[in-house]
Amino acid sequence: MRRLLAAVAVGAFLVTVTACGSSDGSDSSDSSSSGGTTKVKLGVIPIVDVAPLYLGQKKGFFKKQGLELEMTLAQGGAAIVPAVASGQYQFGFSNSTSLMVAQSNNVPVKVVTNGIASTGVQGKDFGALVVKGDSSLKTADQLEGKKVAINTLKNINETAVRASVRKAGGDPDKVKFVELAFDQMPAALDSGQIDAAMVVEPALATVKSQGGREIASPLVDVAPNLTVAMYFTSTSYETQHPDVVKKFRAAAAESLAYADAHPDEAREIVTTYTKIPAAVLAKVTLPAWPADPDRASLDALAKLGQADGLFKTAPDLDKLLP
Amino acid sequence: MKGLNLALGAAGLAVFLALGEVVPRLGLVKEAYFPPASRIADALADEFTDDAFWTALGDTLTGWALGLLIASGAGIVAGILISVVPYLREATASTIEFLRPIPSVALIPLAVLLYGTELTSVLILVVYASFWQVLVQVLYGVQDVDPVAEETARSYGLGTWARVRHVLWPTALPYIMTGVRLAAAVALILAVTAELVIGAPGLGQRIAVAQNSQAVPEMYALVVVTGLLGLLINVGARAVERRALAWHQSVRGEVAV
Repeated sequence: MRRLLAAVAVGAFLVTVTACGSSDGSDSSDSSSSGGTTKVKLGVIPIVDVAPLYLGQKKGFFKKQGLELEMTLAQGGAAIVPAVASGQYQFGFSNSTSLMVAQSNNVPVKVVTNGIASTGVQGKDFGALVVKGDSSLKTADQLEGKKVAINTLKNINETAVRASVRKAGGDPDKVKFVELAFDQMPAALDSGQIDAAMVVEPALATVKSQGGREIASPLVDVAPNLTVAMYFTSTSYETQHPDVVKKFRAAAAESLAYADAHPDEAREIVTTYTKIPAAVLAKVTLPAWPADPDRASLDALAKLGQADGLFKTAPDLDKLLP
Repeated sequence: MKGLNLALGAAGLAVFLALGEVVPRLGLVKEAYFPPASRIADALADEFTDDAFWTALGDTLTGWALGLLIASGAGIVAGILISVVPYLREATASTIEFLRPIPSVALIPLAVLLYGTELTSVLILVVYASFWQVLVQVLYGVQDVDPVAEETARSYGLGTWARVRHVLWPTALPYIMTGVRLAAAVALILAVTAELVIGAPGLGQRIAVAQNSQAVPEMYALVVVTGLLGLLINVGARAVERRALAWHQSVRGEVAV
């Protein structure tokens, strides 16, 4: 009996070890080179934000650098950070607060280049705090005691809405935040389940088409030209393949600049990887796509995040940013 | 009788579809969030002409079939082994009862960490969920073996393998088929869930993209496809079950003496 148990225990151990071993064996962290091109996997979310890289790939900006880009769609950024940290993807796309949270928890991530930035124009941003058309709410400070939907609690959009409330002279601690997916916000707002919502495109366009009103531009209230999301890699990949990271940065920079200068083409490419209806897409406010992260805006975001208790220890931006 | 059942079934479906068409058009629910059945049908027709849709369908079916195959094979082999080898059943019972209730979706973070959004991630969830369905049925099935038949086989000098083949297997087969049928449905649910939540390629991912894109009719169309898929799988599994158990009393029916 005892021998049997020992055999089972050893067997289970071996299975575990080989299982771990096999994940190393089929190592996807090492980019395979074939004929001078390096294949890299990029984890993205199927939203308008990542249009520049799809466009850059189509225009051959990555090929020019000897990179073959493989886009992997992930549902929500939550899957991307661990996948990049563990080497399943070489690069990923995530919002600035999530990256700061990861960094402050010593997850080995390193920003490569900018992802998207707020347009910096009040009332003309890709994200907005909206209320129903017939709502009595006019300013962000009136949200005290009201139900406000954000896509993820304790993340960038909560920080942003709190910034708007604070700026308008209200107490953000008195706002009742509820978590709701962006795509469900228009319906929830319409049916009165929530009083206000922090939406981004394309849900923002849907809200506006239903007669919804913007009462603040929270991302603009955090800082002018806020860097909202960035492309990143793992620190180990950066030290092992600095050349690939450099090439990716160059190709991404070219893609971002091109998309910024050619919004129609950016809009067009979105239809290839999302199902946003043409009528909605035409009304979508595009984000800004500068090539470099805005350090001052990230400092402001980190400071606000710390005030809201998002980090146990303050994120080290010098370590996180390139 | 069968004709009447079929007619009633068709009538029920027709009424359901008619309600789906009329209720949004009358404004009882918002058309924007609950489009009429005809618009969903239009979106469905569009999907059928899209190559990416068929690729996604193939991805989902691959994850489902591979997962079900692995889970069934492992479940049957492990189940018989556990039952046949002395003491193994007692040694594993508590472990099985501990592992079985863990919801497969709780393994999503682990799967993502190990394999990203690849097929392997889907397989982990599918296999984990459907394995127990098969295993537990096999264990029950083996327990159901008639001790008299077992002793008779022993006294006729049948070896372990022969007893597994001629006594244990025919007794356990109806249970195994039930297990596999349940596992087939569970495997589809988990395959679509994995795609939806993790973002592995397949119908689930397409639903998520449609949802993110505010493309409401397309989303419903894809949901309908997964429903049809579940229906087909269930019908298929029942057909397989009937064929495999054609000799069994439950399918053959009681013979009047």
